Amino acid sequence: MKKINNEGWLFVLPLLLWLILSICFPLYIAIDLSFYNVKIIGTEGQFYGIKNYIKILNSSKFWSALNNSLFWVIGNALAQTFFAFLIALTLNKKFKGRNIATNWIILSFIIPTVVIVVIWKLMLSSSSGIVSSTLININLINKPIGFFGSPNIAFISLILINSWRWSPFLALIILSGLKSINREIYDASKIDGTNIFTEFWYITFPNLKNVLFVLGLVGTLLSFNVFDIIWLITKGGPSNATTTLPLLIYETAFTKFRLSQAASLSVITSIILLTYSIIFIKFMSEKKEDA
Amino acid sequence: MKILIRGFIALSTFSLISLSTLAATSVTFWHMEGVPHRVDRIQTLIDEFNAANPGIEVKQEVQNWGEIYAKAPASVAAGTSPEILVGIPDFTPILAEMGAAQPVEDFVAELDAKYKFYQKALDQYTYNGHTWAVPLWNMAISIWYRKSEFENAGISPPTTWSELKAAAKALTKDGVYGIGLPGNKQLYTDQTIYSFMVNSGASEIYNSDGSLRFDNAGTVSAYEVYKDLYQYSAPDAANWTWGEAEACFASKACAMILQFTVITTYDSQAEGDANDLGVIQIPYADGMADSAGTVSYVNSAMIMTEDSEKMEASKKFLSFLMEPGNYGRFINMEPGLFLPITEEGSKDRTYWNDPMVVKYKPQIKTMLDNSTRGSLFGFTNGNTFTSISSISAQNLLSQTLQLAIIDGKDAATAVSEGQSIMNEAIE
Repeated sequence: MKKINNEGWLFVLPLLLWLILSICFPLYIAIDLSFYNVKIIGTEGQFYGIKNYIKILNSSKFWSALNNSLFWVIGNALAQTFFAFLIALTLNKKFKGRNIATNWIILSFIIPTVVIVVIWKLMLSSSSGIVSSTLININLINKPIGFFGSPNIAFISLILINSWRWSPFLALIILSGLKSINREIYDASKIDGTNIFTEFWYITFPNLKNVLFVLGLVGTLLSFNVFDIIWLITKGGPSNATTTLPLLIYETAFTKFRLSQAASLSVITSIILLTYSIIFIKFMSEKKEDA
Repeated sequence: MKILIRGFIALSTFSLISLSTLAATSVTFWHMEGVPHRVDRIQTLIDEFNAANPGIEVKQEVQNWGEIYAKAPASVAAGTSPEILVGIPDFTPILAEMGAAQPVEDFVAELDAKYKFYQKALDQYTYNGHTWAVPLWNMAISIWYRKSEFENAGISPPTTWSELKAAAKALTKDGVYGIGLPGNKQLYTDQTIYSFMVNSGASEIYNSDGSLRFDNAGTVSAYEVYKDLYQYSAPDAANWTWGEAEACFASKACAMILQFTVITTYDSQAEGDANDLGVIQIPYADGMADSAGTVSYVNSAMIMTEDSEKMEASKKFLSFLMEPGNYGRFINMEPGLFLPITEEGSKDRTYWNDPMVVKYKPQIKTMLDNSTRGSLFGFTNGNTFTSISSISAQNLLSQTLQLAIIDGKDAATAVSEGQSIMNEAIE
């Protein structure tokens, strides 16, 4: 028979209380609010049942925002994984100035978001931006590009800016994983005649599974919830093309003044993310165990 | 003994100062004029006021136009709202409905007796039997251009939409956009599209019973001409706010723009040649000279406290700002942008003596003249309804425009869908 460790519970209790206060209580407020028809923060509303949920699930805006969120997460995952591996594998090699480069790349996620937004908006401006003028000067294009002027280009531009910001951070995490791989495995594989691709696929990649598991879960959740860069650059436009679920929630609460509807959207979003997390943990844990 | 007496005096003085500081009525002044020189000018006036009124301590807190629609109601709910909040007409109804903005008709009448408000300024804040804010200054959109570029292209300043389209086409050349028009879902685009609506006789959004009359022939023709002109604008104009348009004009990449003013940027970041800077009223739809007008925004101050002491202190501060000698300096925090809204204010020598105003006097006189024909969506002919806040906060005029210029729908379909979106928003 297992003995219950009361002392252990006592030590964990403050943390549990803090979690209840900081997560469960706001979640309860949001769920409760979602069953009313409160419009403006601080005002009263009447009980509305599940009408908010029905309205949302029948709204094309919700499905469009969910669609955008999925493309946003997939686009960022692909771009960030690619850039992060490129940076990490480069920094894992010995070359002159490696330490400076390692320190330099962290700048992108140290700089405040608002500064990054201003810099990119200036660089991508069609009337005075350096990117368009450079591309024109080297004859790649003949007129300036509106990087935020059309739906598809705006979406891709945002993904690239966000990936530029976060790839170095992911690269550092991958780099720490790379450093923990025993060099002798690589040396032995060389004797077996591996090339750079087979080395990556059969040695590097499998040995990074723990790191990639964490990145796959946390990275996706963080990416899904990105609000600042999108809001500051496009505000969800043009024509709602970059409106993801977090933006839709904000707009519904604070520009449409439908607080309860925004709460319902938040609950639905939480359920989506929770479901993803459970499936991911279950599926990936099994894979890890198999490996 | 002397040391003891000195110590006692020092302690008493310190206590008195502390007590007077504690007793001072604090007034928090929220505004959205975050440009550093505007903040400095407001601070200068606040310092003068605080020095002259030891019992009152005014402090400014700069907010952001992009967030204030969310932040102000939230601050009311949290009990942290300021005593004075600067706003525009479409922002007032929602705060009045929440019971946060206090009726100020008696105070406005006092000020009116002294300084004589222009009636149009009061109209935008008077509805439901009350006046909800104290008008502070006016802003009106005009078209800005360089006279030399028009001369080089052999064209005259346009007065009708046909002439405007021809001018935009003629001025478009390699690296220059004939006209800079925003396409963002944002307030600036609401303002520019409404400027066209006014000029096609579609200034009214509401019928007198509160139902919408947005979907009409005048609105459709305004959206049509905007869509036609948008092809001459910059490719990233769908993401523009006021700053990008001004930068485009300053860098000569835009031959014309619709803007409240360009004077400061033109003077500091472009040539600064006052003789070459042209400003005209927004052209009107062909054959509709009688509708000539523009969008105008009377900015105002809402008093957000029910505490009688704080309310009196707030009124005293606002009276101070409206006094001749202060008023000109106040609205000249951005010379050539903010226009007087009282007859006395229009004569204030501190307004006309500002070096920038002296330099660009002809342009400012044209702006003032244009502003007299200004109107604002949802605040016309007494047909003001609180639901306009929902339309304005969600930028539904520009959302409708995006249906035409981004999604490629024809103007009539876009306007029809726009009215449906508005109806849903105000239900």
